[in-house]
Amino acid sequence: MIISVASGKGGTGKTTVACNMALSVGYCQFMDYDVEAPNSSFFLKPDIKHIHKVTIKQPYFLRGTGADFSECASFCNYNAVAVVGDDVIFFPELCHGCGGCLLVGPEGAVRENDVIVGEVRKGVASPNIDYYMGDLKPGSMRTISIQGDMDKALNRDELVIIDCPPGTSCSMVFSVKDCDYCILVTEPTPYGLNDLKLSIEVLESMDKPFGVIINRNGIGDDQVEKFCKNSGIKILAMIPNKREIAEYYSRGDSLIEYDSSWKSRFEEIVKEIEKDIRK
Amino acid sequence: MIVAISSTGTSLESKVDPRFGRCPFFIIYNTDDDSFEHVENQARQAMGGAGIQTGQMIAGRGVKAVITGNVGPNAFRVLAAAGVKVYSGVSDQVSDAVQKLKAGELQGTSAPDVGSHFGTGGGGGNN
Repeated sequence: MIISVASGKGGTGKTTVACNMALSVGYCQFMDYDVEAPNSSFFLKPDIKHIHKVTIKQPYFLRGTGADFSECASFCNYNAVAVVGDDVIFFPELCHGCGGCLLVGPEGAVRENDVIVGEVRKGVASPNIDYYMGDLKPGSMRTISIQGDMDKALNRDELVIIDCPPGTSCSMVFSVKDCDYCILVTEPTPYGLNDLKLSIEVLESMDKPFGVIINRNGIGDDQVEKFCKNSGIKILAMIPNKREIAEYYSRGDSLIEYDSSWKSRFEEIVKEIEKDIRK
Repeated sequence: MIVAISSTGTSLESKVDPRFGRCPFFIIYNTDDDSFEHVENQARQAMGGAGIQTGQMIAGRGVKAVITGNVGPNAFRVLAAAGVKVYSGVSDQVSDAVQKLKAGELQGTSAPDVGSHFGTGGGGGNN
């Protein structure tokens, strides 16, 4: 079973929920798909055993051969290739690596090489967590390439917890596409509510079952709670807004260390979800 | 000399558009005989790299100078490669901008003056 932990708004507590759920259940595969800013390692403290680089194909153009690359420039939807007079300019940050310029360009004059866009770290975390973390190279836009590489390791036969990136763009969609259930973590503020609705729209269009966890309950207002109740959306938990919880967090300590009753609560949530998706 | 001015409209009374890559029109002005025409900027709908596409279009028309509000780094690279001189920071009416250029009152720009995605409106984005 794959549970993705997502949110619309950033900083609502995705990693807090994902890590505490993993620590509570104890036995799972943990995937940090928030590859632009992975931070689950602060809380799970994994022992990294293996790191491998993720590469993509990128074209290069043989200049000075008299070859005309204007077909490549007009083909590229992202304008990663520009031809000015006899010269060709390549903008690697715009290239999506489709390989189209090799097909439409002058034969033999467009070639490809491997470019590193980031890495995937694999290890183990206590008590019995199979840990994976993607880390996108600063400056690279190839979030999906890293996540796609991690996808290969997904093992649906055990419990998989995916810590998703914030927002509702491609990288979030990619992180929830294989899940059996999605937990949306939000905060009880107008901003949190607005972005919660955006995430729900995405999940509904993908036919994914989901529930909500309200974090930092006590700040803001009661609109998120009202919205969930009126829309028949399940609220899985409400984590109170407490200075001590923030202090534990800031030291890399977990919620279940602060209050051990959360361990059984998270275990229950996983059981509830399992029952929910079997219906 | 042929000059391209990013423009909000199709006439010389239009304002210079602050965006190079995503402006709606260019006024292509010939300073030798004071003739001009307008072209619609197809590249403004581009998903990404609007400035790059616009730069190629401009270079392909034999333009030697561009007058605009702001030019981003990618467009600037294309224009520089094409030997097109850039006059940015201009916000006048198109006709006034042309007169200033003719009178030598415009200062050439030697570096991009905004980051990527300046003209996209929503803060750009990499998605």
